[in-house]
Amino acid sequence: MTATALRPWLGPILILLAWESLAHLFASAFVLAAPSAIINYLFDNTALMTRALGVTLTNAAAGFVIGNAAAILLAGLAITLPRSENMIRALALVIFCLPLVATGPILRILFGPGTGPQITLAALAVYYTTLIPLLVGLRAVPSDWLDLVRSYGRGRMTALIRVRAMAALPYLVAGLQIAAPAAFLGAMVGEFTGAERGMGVLTIRAMRDMNIEMTWALATLATVVAVLAYLAIGLAARAVLTEEPPVILAAPATGKRAPHKNLAMVALSTAAILALWWGGLEALNLSSFFAKRPGDLIDALFLAPDAADTRAALSSALRETLVFLFPGYLAGLLTGASLAMALVMAPSLANTTMPLAIALRSVPIITTAPLVVLLLGRGATGTIALIAIMVFFPTLIACLHGLRQAPGRATEVMRSYAASPAAVLRYVRIPAMLPAFFAAARINVPASVLAVTVVEWLATGNGLGSLMALSASLSDYDMLWSAVVLTTLLSVIGYGLVGLIERRVLSTYAPEQLA
Amino acid sequence: MSVEIICSGLSKTFPGGVEAVRPLDLTLTAGQTTALVGPSGCGKSTLLRMIAGLEDASSGTITIGGAAPSETLARAGLAVAFQDPSLLPWRTVRQNIELALDLARKPRKPAEIDQLIHLVGLDGFADTRPGALSGGMRQRAAIARALSTQPDLLLLDEPFGAVDELTRAQLAADLPGIWEARGTTTLLVTHSVTEAVTLSDRILVLSPRPAAIVADITVDIPRPRPSNLKALPEFQTHVDATFAALSQGVADTLPNAAQ
Repeated sequence: MTATALRPWLGPILILLAWESLAHLFASAFVLAAPSAIINYLFDNTALMTRALGVTLTNAAAGFVIGNAAAILLAGLAITLPRSENMIRALALVIFCLPLVATGPILRILFGPGTGPQITLAALAVYYTTLIPLLVGLRAVPSDWLDLVRSYGRGRMTALIRVRAMAALPYLVAGLQIAAPAAFLGAMVGEFTGAERGMGVLTIRAMRDMNIEMTWALATLATVVAVLAYLAIGLAARAVLTEEPPVILAAPATGKRAPHKNLAMVALSTAAILALWWGGLEALNLSSFFAKRPGDLIDALFLAPDAADTRAALSSALRETLVFLFPGYLAGLLTGASLAMALVMAPSLANTTMPLAIALRSVPIITTAPLVVLLLGRGATGTIALIAIMVFFPTLIACLHGLRQAPGRATEVMRSYAASPAAVLRYVRIPAMLPAFFAAARINVPASVLAVTVVEWLATGNGLGSLMALSASLSDYDMLWSAVVLTTLLSVIGYGLVGLIERRVLSTYAPEQLA
Repeated sequence: MSVEIICSGLSKTFPGGVEAVRPLDLTLTAGQTTALVGPSGCGKSTLLRMIAGLEDASSGTITIGGAAPSETLARAGLAVAFQDPSLLPWRTVRQNIELALDLARKPRKPAEIDQLIHLVGLDGFADTRPGALSGGMRQRAAIARALSTQPDLLLLDEPFGAVDELTRAQLAADLPGIWEARGTTTLLVTHSVTEAVTLSDRILVLSPRPAAIVADITVDIPRPRPSNLKALPEFQTHVDATFAALSQGVADTLPNAAQ
C-alpha cells in the first residue's frame, strides 16, 4: 500500500476523525453523535434497523421500477409521437413539482393503510429524473444513423428500437443512478405520513424522542444504502456500456417559437392539467370532502365567506417560505459553482474531495433534514443551510462537468499564449460552464422547494410546508389543496423563469444546444 | 525576428508505454517553413505539441532561439493553429483575435485586425460569432488569430483540414507571404503532400509511430512561388519524392502499418 493508493481515503478519514472528536467535544449539546456511537447503536439495534430497512427498501424498489417504467414508456411515446412531447414534458414537470409534503397525506387518504403512498411517492420521485435524460439520449443520435434506417425503408419504430434505444442507454443509466437514492427518499417521505413501519417511521420517532444516536444512525444508514445503490447501478452499467454515463444537462424544453405560441402551449398545458385533475378525481369517484376539484378551490379562494382569510393565510405562508427559499437556493448555487472552480484550479484538492462529493451526491438529503435541524437549530440558519445543501451537490457536479467543456483545444490555445490558470478560468472555463450552471439552477428549483417545505413541516413550523401539514391534520382540505397548487406553481414558475434566463445564456454560450 | 529551433534527443513515450516519438535530432532553420509529413497517428502532432511547450518531452531538449519553449511561451513568441479551430463560441471573430492579443500583452490595433481578417477572406464577418460561420471560415479565423500576435514561431497543426479546395489554394497563395515578410519560422504538420510542397522550404517525412525522420527533402523552388506552381516539373518531382519516402517509411514498418 503506497501513499498514492491511500490518498483518496485521506479526505474521508480526516472527516471521520474530525467528526468523532467534535462529537466528544460537544457531547453535552446533544446534537452530534460520534461515528463510534452510531456504529454502536446500529449493532445494538440490528434487528429493528434491518426490519425497517427491509420495508423501506422494498417500497423504494417497487417505486423505482414503476416510476422508471413510466418514464421509459413516456419517453418512447414522446419520440414516436413528436407532437405529444411538449404536453408530456409539461405534465411531467407539474407532477414532479407537486409537494411531497402534501401528496403524502392525500395519498394516505386515497390508499388507506398499507404501502401505497410510499411506493407512489418513490415512483413520483424518480420518473422525472429518468424521463429528461432519456429524452435527451433518444435524440443524441446522429441524423445519418436515422437516415440509414430510412434508406432501408424502415420506419420510426425500427429506428427507435434499433438505433435510438441503444444510443440512449448511457443516458438511461445516468438517470437511473440519480433515481436510486431519489426512490429511497420518496419511500421515506411516504413513511413520514402514517405508515406502520420503515425507516421514515423510525426517523419521526427518533426526532420526537430527541434520540440523537438513533437519528444519526438512521441518516447514516439511509446514506450508505443510497450510495451503495448509486455505485451498484454504476458498476452494472460499466459492465454493459463502453463509456462512462454522461452528465445530463438537458436544454430547456421550449423550442424556437414565437412568444404567442409559447403562451398557447402554456394555456393548453394548463387546460390539460386541470382536465386531468378534475377527470381523475371524478373517474375515481372520490368524495369532494377531501378530493378537491378545481372548482372547489375557486370557490374556497374567491367566493366563500372566508375566502379573504384563506388567501391571507396562503400569502403569508408563501412569504415565509420565500424568505428562506431565496437565500438558500442562491447560497447553494454559488457555493457549488465556487467549489467547482476551486477544484479545477487545484486539481490535487479534487483527488481528495471528489470521491466524497460523488458519494454525497447520492445522499437522500431530506433524510438528513433532522440532523441539520439538530445541528443548526430550527431557525433561519438551519433551513437555509438545508436548502443550500440540497442545491449545492448537483450544482457542483454540473459545474465541474461544465468547466471541462472548453471548446476544442481552446485551453491549449490559451496556454500557447502563456495565459495563467486564472485567465483560462476567466476567459474559457467560466463562460463554458455557464450552460451547465443554469441547467443545474433550473433543475434545482423543484428540489429546493421540496427541501424548504420538508424543513418547514418537520422543524420550523411556518411557511407553506407547515401550512400543508397543519391543514392535512386539521382536515382543512380546501387549504391543503390550495397550498399544493400554490407550491406547485412556485416550482413551475421558478423553473420557467430560470429556463428563460438559461435560453438567453445558451443563445450566446452554447447555441448548438438550442438547435 | 527569426528564430532557430533545435531539438536534440527529443522523444515522447506516453504513460502506458506508447512510444510516440523516437529520440530524434532536428534543427529548424530560422525564417524557413518546415513541413512535417507522415501517416495518421505517427506522432507528428506530438512533436509539434512538444515544441509548442504543450507537452513535456520524455527525454531531450528543445531550444527556440536559444531559449526554452516555456520562455518563448512566456513572452508570447509563438502561436499555434490547430485542426480544430478552438475559437471561443461566445466571442466574435474580432473578439477572439483581441483576446489573443490581450493574452500576449500586445496592443489591439483595429486596422491591423481588419487587415488580417481581410487577408483570410473573412471581410464582413468580423463581428460574427463562430457558430454562424462554416467550418472553413472558422479555421481561417483561427489562422488570423495565430498570425495576429506576430509570433516568431508559428506552429500549424493541419490548419487547412476542413477548408475547401478553393480556399485552401487561396490561403496557400496568400499566407506564406505574411510569415515570410516577417521572417517567421513556421512548422506545418500535414498529411497532404501537395500542401507540404506548396507551402514549405523543407519537408521532413516521418515514419509510422513511433515517429522517426525517414527523409529530409529540400524544396528549392524560389519564393514567391508562381501561381502555376503545380504545373512546374520540379513541383511534381518533389511530390513524387515525398510520396516515395512516405511509402518507403510505411513499407519498412509494415507490421505496424496496418493501423
